[in-house]
Amino acid sequence: MWARSRQNVFAWLVVGPFAIVLAFPFYWMLMTSLKTNGDLYNVENVPFVFNEAEATPTERLPLKDQEWLPLGVENITTSSYEFIFRDTKYVDWIQNTALLGLVVVLITLALALPAGYALARLSGGWGQSAGVGIFLTYLVPPTLLFLPLSRVVAELGLQDRLWSLILVYPSFTVPFSTWLLMGFFKTIPPELEDAAMIDGASRLMALVRVVFPISLPGILTVVIFSFSLVANEFIYAVTFISTSDARTVSSGVPLELIRGDVYFWQSLMAATLIPSIPLALLYNMFLDRFIAGFTGGAFR
Amino acid sequence: MAEDDKERKAWLSRRELLRRAGLGTAAVLYTGAAPKTSAAGPLKFHGREAANQLKIIQWVHFVPAYDKWFDGTYTKIWGRRNDCEVTVDHVNLTDLPARAASEVAARSGHDLFQHLSPPAAYEDQVIGLGDIIQQATKKHGPMKGLARRSAFNPKTKKWFGWPDNYVPDPVHYRRDWWGEVGERPTTWDAVSRAAPKLKANNHPIGIGMSNELDSNMALIALMQCFGSYIQNAEARVTLNTKATRDAVNFMASLYRRGMVSDVFAWVPASNNNAMLAGRISLAFNAISIMRTAELQNPSLARNLAIAPIPKAKQRLGLEHVMGVYTIWKFASNKRLAKKFLLDMMVPTYNGHFLNSRFYNFPGWPGAVKNVRQKLNADPSGKYGVLDTISRTATTNVGYPGFSNAAIDEVFNTWLIPQMFAEVAQGRKSAAESVSDTTREVQRIFRKWRNRGKI
Repeated sequence: MWARSRQNVFAWLVVGPFAIVLAFPFYWMLMTSLKTNGDLYNVENVPFVFNEAEATPTERLPLKDQEWLPLGVENITTSSYEFIFRDTKYVDWIQNTALLGLVVVLITLALALPAGYALARLSGGWGQSAGVGIFLTYLVPPTLLFLPLSRVVAELGLQDRLWSLILVYPSFTVPFSTWLLMGFFKTIPPELEDAAMIDGASRLMALVRVVFPISLPGILTVVIFSFSLVANEFIYAVTFISTSDARTVSSGVPLELIRGDVYFWQSLMAATLIPSIPLALLYNMFLDRFIAGFTGGAFR
Repeated sequence: MAEDDKERKAWLSRRELLRRAGLGTAAVLYTGAAPKTSAAGPLKFHGREAANQLKIIQWVHFVPAYDKWFDGTYTKIWGRRNDCEVTVDHVNLTDLPARAASEVAARSGHDLFQHLSPPAAYEDQVIGLGDIIQQATKKHGPMKGLARRSAFNPKTKKWFGWPDNYVPDPVHYRRDWWGEVGERPTTWDAVSRAAPKLKANNHPIGIGMSNELDSNMALIALMQCFGSYIQNAEARVTLNTKATRDAVNFMASLYRRGMVSDVFAWVPASNNNAMLAGRISLAFNAISIMRTAELQNPSLARNLAIAPIPKAKQRLGLEHVMGVYTIWKFASNKRLAKKFLLDMMVPTYNGHFLNSRFYNFPGWPGAVKNVRQKLNADPSGKYGVLDTISRTATTNVGYPGFSNAAIDEVFNTWLIPQMFAEVAQGRKSAAESVSDTTREVQRIFRKWRNRGKI
């Protein structure tokens, strides 16, 4: 009992600081997004709580007079949230990002799963080299590619449409995912597929019924990783799309919430906090499988 | 067995979560809330009644009300009068060059593109605007010298841009902190005297030496005050002079005595952030610092002052931003684009000047009458000095010459801030740094001379 408690304390001592460090950006975003300008820009204020300050005419204090609240919460303003939802196309950006992520993930899976499997099983000696070759294409930076791709996008008449990004994003999600899945499939003994095929399954059926289910950690890794890449991408999103309606979160937030050389910190923090929470929860829910996917361990 | 159940339970809940999340997402996407038109792009013809379309791209103005007025009122009224549907897209100022490069590469994009520095390097990609410039000049008299030198190529005789506005670049300083050390930033000597005292009080000077717009502007302006210029009026490189070395040495000394190393990582917003956070005592910036302080931190605004650039040999600064519209050769509606530009200035530029809260000064001084009176009418009473600055201490990048393609490249490859930073960081002497930079600048000038652009 004592040993177990000691183990728990030790674990908390090790994990606790990490947890605090990792959770701190979320805390900071939340605090900043709810602060009044007077509070935020007063360097003498304690930044970790809400301080009383003169509110500007646009700042509404919904909890004013609720002085019993801790951390000075009575001084919060929700103006930044009202601003991004009322005065910008933020909801469109979120929806565009979700739709784009979903479609790109599906395209990535459709291409990378068979490619990864083929390179792992069917390609003979040159499979490894081909895998490395595919991965290398992932390393070509978008800063070099956006100019020629602009021409392609214009020729296809896809400017200012999400389709331009749906077309371009798989160019970096597919190579990485193929490479990742190739490594993953290699850890699965071919005997499992052989056994299925001896029992009468076709290769496709063996793939669907045997290989894919035990590759779930790898597939989930590809899903999460591809979605994150899509949600983070900036250069293509800026250069191919210029209408506010069609922007994604990654381009809309910096392009429209930084005005000239002025940062509107509260709305920037609110706009980045909102999508980061579900993404963080998603990562957390599938953390063990995500790690398994990256380390290629199909069998625990 | 228990372990199995636990794992199974966990797995099921995860699957359930995924299923529900998937259903939820699908529902949101399906039920119309959905990116309306995003996947297919904005509807181009739905409900459209106007016969023409005009597409404009420009920066996200730091005054939100200006964009609201420009997008929602000005262009709408103009569109109705001209049977035209006008759409205005906005990009952050640092992303404008990439967007311009992308449109040129694609040979497709907006009818009107607003640059924030003279875009001479794009001369071959844009149409000449001499005819409408002549009309505006006929109405308002000659355009301002800096505007002419930012939009015209004397070698090819082409008006490659429409310099509708420029932005004066005052010094912002903390009146209270400067008062404590008994100085005012009227001369560079005064700045030099005050800097160590201000730094000792934890209020350093904030002049960038980084690869970005504000550093470029501040440092070229400083050079001009010392009598140093990148080129002469005939587009010959004149950088390697004692005046340049004096300016570079002065800045290195000012850095060591009165600044902190943040200035080497400056971005266009750093001036604003540092001043608004109460960290620095002096910055070069357009009035966005003062205007933001008035809006967000009135007590800080009360302690802020704006003034002309300090004097050394002379008092000669730069515009902070030079707004120049261009019309690409591949633009689909050149005729209307030209008309839009002309109508911006004729009969008056008043709306732009007032709605930008005195940020956009007109390229044709005659396009806004009684500037001083309008500036003085501001309740803060602080902006009258902008009239003096705009008339006596504001010029173009590349002065006394034109903002030609070589100057454009020197400006956008950040050679001047690098020259200053190398000396301030002690990596080179002023003589070495100025000499090395001059060689690089001469190479750039040779390149553009060979192309027949200067």
